[in-house]
Amino acid sequence: MQLKRWIVLAVLAAALVLTTGIQAAQQTNVRYDKWGPKVDEIIMPIIKEPEAQRIAFERGETVVLPGLTRPEDIDRIKRNPNADITMNLGFHMFYLAFNMRRAPLSDLVIRQAIAHVVNRDQIINQLFQGYMLPLESFVPQSSPFYNPNVDSYPYNPTRAREILDKAGYKLDPKSGVRIDPKTGNPLRKMYILTPTYEVAPTSAELGRMIAEAARAIGLPVEAQPMDFPTMLEKIDIFEFDMYLLAWGLERNPTFLYDFFHSSNDVKAGYNTPGIRNAELDRALEELYYAPDRATAQRAANKAQEILSREIPYVVLYSRPYIDAWRKDMVTGYIPMLGYGAANYQNQWTTLNIRRRAGEGGTIRWLLPEEPKNLNVVTASSAYEFEVLGRIYEGMYAIDPVTMQDIPWLAESWDVGTWEPAPGKKGTVVTWHIRKGVKWQDGMPFTSADVKFTIEFMKKNEVPLYQSRWKDIVKVETPDQYTAKVYFGTQSYWHLYNADFPWLPKHIWEDVKDYTNFQPWLEPHPTVKGLTKAIGTGPFILKEYKPGEYVRLVKNPNYWALKPWK
Amino acid sequence: MGITALQNGVKVLGFRAYLFRRAVSALLVLFVIISFNFAVFRLMPGDPSSLIIDPRFTPEAIALLRQQFGLDDPPFVQYVKYIKNLVTFDLGQSFTSRRPVIDELKERLPNTITLFLTSFTFTALLGIAVGVFAAARRGSFAETLVTGAGLFTYAVPTFFFQLLLLLLFGYYVPIFPIHGTISAPPPEGTWAQLLDRLHHLVLPAGSNVIIGFGSWALYTRNAMLEALSQDYIITARAKGLSERAVLYHHALRSVLPPIVTLVFLSLPGLVTGAVITETIFSWHGVGRYLVDAVLQQDYPAAQGAFYLIAIAVIVSNFLADLVYGLVDPRIRVAGENA
Repeated sequence: MQLKRWIVLAVLAAALVLTTGIQAAQQTNVRYDKWGPKVDEIIMPIIKEPEAQRIAFERGETVVLPGLTRPEDIDRIKRNPNADITMNLGFHMFYLAFNMRRAPLSDLVIRQAIAHVVNRDQIINQLFQGYMLPLESFVPQSSPFYNPNVDSYPYNPTRAREILDKAGYKLDPKSGVRIDPKTGNPLRKMYILTPTYEVAPTSAELGRMIAEAARAIGLPVEAQPMDFPTMLEKIDIFEFDMYLLAWGLERNPTFLYDFFHSSNDVKAGYNTPGIRNAELDRALEELYYAPDRATAQRAANKAQEILSREIPYVVLYSRPYIDAWRKDMVTGYIPMLGYGAANYQNQWTTLNIRRRAGEGGTIRWLLPEEPKNLNVVTASSAYEFEVLGRIYEGMYAIDPVTMQDIPWLAESWDVGTWEPAPGKKGTVVTWHIRKGVKWQDGMPFTSADVKFTIEFMKKNEVPLYQSRWKDIVKVETPDQYTAKVYFGTQSYWHLYNADFPWLPKHIWEDVKDYTNFQPWLEPHPTVKGLTKAIGTGPFILKEYKPGEYVRLVKNPNYWALKPWK
Repeated sequence: MGITALQNGVKVLGFRAYLFRRAVSALLVLFVIISFNFAVFRLMPGDPSSLIIDPRFTPEAIALLRQQFGLDDPPFVQYVKYIKNLVTFDLGQSFTSRRPVIDELKERLPNTITLFLTSFTFTALLGIAVGVFAAARRGSFAETLVTGAGLFTYAVPTFFFQLLLLLLFGYYVPIFPIHGTISAPPPEGTWAQLLDRLHHLVLPAGSNVIIGFGSWALYTRNAMLEALSQDYIITARAKGLSERAVLYHHALRSVLPPIVTLVFLSLPGLVTGAVITETIFSWHGVGRYLVDAVLQQDYPAAQGAFYLIAIAVIVSNFLADLVYGLVDPRIRVAGENA
């Protein structure tokens, strides 16, 4: 399976290189240090306007232009001799969802036929000039849980017609619309909801293209662009036939449970297609509560097979992360599978990036939006985590190539079981905390901080981390560097649920109302020049001037300033 | 207070009565606007939590968020809280930043006022000067040029023109900053910082002046032409006054009251006028704040910004009424033929 996945990744990488001419689509020989940082300061100018962002990059006012999506921008930057572009497969999917509660889309045959008329190559070439990756599976290729051995529906209108004919959906030559064999009447008109052309031109055009292809085989489908909030509301209350949307996904495939388990087929739930399949539910429960990785892998494979057979979504493409770098100014940006080179989740670039002029000094790193809220407990936007992700760290890191876990704030960990109630099994995650890790104010990071953070999140019912704390029963700290996190249920994924953005107890224990707490605006009680927004990470928040810039400086107390083992 | 005189058979209010009436009507309008302001966001499709389409948020987490935002209260309870808060100028807490809206507005208002006042002052001065110049040279090539330029800059889309300037002076001739109000980090010293701010102001304010002066020029030119055809101008000329004196002491003075009123009516632009400019030049102002808040369905932020705009509009209109009332007693007419 692993070999097959690598073959798939290599083929996709080659396809990207050939179609776009961009190097480093998928690198297996990425070299990076696990220590750093190698610059003294990062200034993040906040520039919202796309043209101004590009100009700032060309003027050298930012060394990175992250998250390129517009083909014209990519082409222009490719022509810039001072620019380098990194491209990585992302945890992202764009899909067409069916409302399986409604006839005729409740009939698998109709969904299969529509799946067969989706021409991914044409979509990617016409709408994105080749800068997207075709995706058919419910787990993106970049995930270690991707299963290539599932039913596939390649573009084949002839096959689509045959399927419909065979199922009795005969074409009325007069109207050009197929007749429903159950009612004897022409099929009703079906609509694909999309955002408007003004808001999302490619999605709106994609809706038009799929509708046109469906009409060509006798299915009366129309695209219906609409105001985005209206579209979301209609989806929430199941008032749709089909819709086009995207998901930003994660490394672990538990999202399959959220999206397709029958318990989530509720209004405003994530199971918008309304798929209810007992076999799928079993596989998803096994995945969600898998006791070990092998079980999780097996359950994920099974779930993908069933989903590919039942087609609640037609998955269309995945967006790679495309980032541009001023190669004449910096080096040490690390491509990372699933996240890209410039994303905050890629801590390797944060640690390794350095100026061509030599170590130390200042680099400027674009922020395309305002990081409004720098309270790590309530922050939710990616732009906020672009800053916070360089201040706070987790117990483990992710290898940029293999996607495997690497010990980070925890030197190691154990995953075991316990009995929360007689006859019931729960997971225990034991973190063995690295010695010598300090908060940015110089205080040691210990198991007391771990216990405090988890209890703080649970006591305050912090929404953002609800999926992590909800099953935690208690935390024990046998010594200063060991924390045992007890879950009331058993799941392989609890290892990841036991990790949080850790909070310094000596700062946060006095916080009464965390929703109103603005740690970045409050001075540190004892250390001059610091705020209360302190973590253990490589950079300290020095200054945030709303609307202008964020200034981060190297943490002199950082535990990984030098090579370590 | 009360009716004080009959002039030519028309009932006329005393100035204080006139002022009182205007104030009451302004407060009523404010109440209607803030009520509408409350309703419009709740009538919009979707709610803030429905926009959070992130797998990290489970339905239970979204329910917790709604509870924190107070969105699970009945609409009437939300309305009462809202009115109570507005009266005390507690504009609530932004859903997205979790900061008090009033703090965020205070932080942005000086930037918007700086941009607007600079743009407005130069636009009005340039527009009036050019308008007077064109009116004085009626039928000449200069007048055609001014009228054409005025119409062109008035008609050209703001965003397009500003993007062109951004490209020209940001990239091809890179002499001006292209984003923000100050350098990151700002230079040391008060004078250096002041110069830095002015440097950042050149492109956004300059583009506003170029785009905006046309309408002022055309308005002034038309008003001046009308004034120049009046009998008292002919009399002034017949008296042998210089053309300069006729132009500035007689014609311009007579068109100043409507221009002054126009100034007051333009004041709400303090808050609203700079939305596009603030977006293109990443200017940290109230206009951009409002747009972001509406797009993100951040009720408290959007309501707060609208409240501020409503007050700005009402106060400006009130001031315009006041000025009119002062300069022209006919405005104080309350009824006819008692």
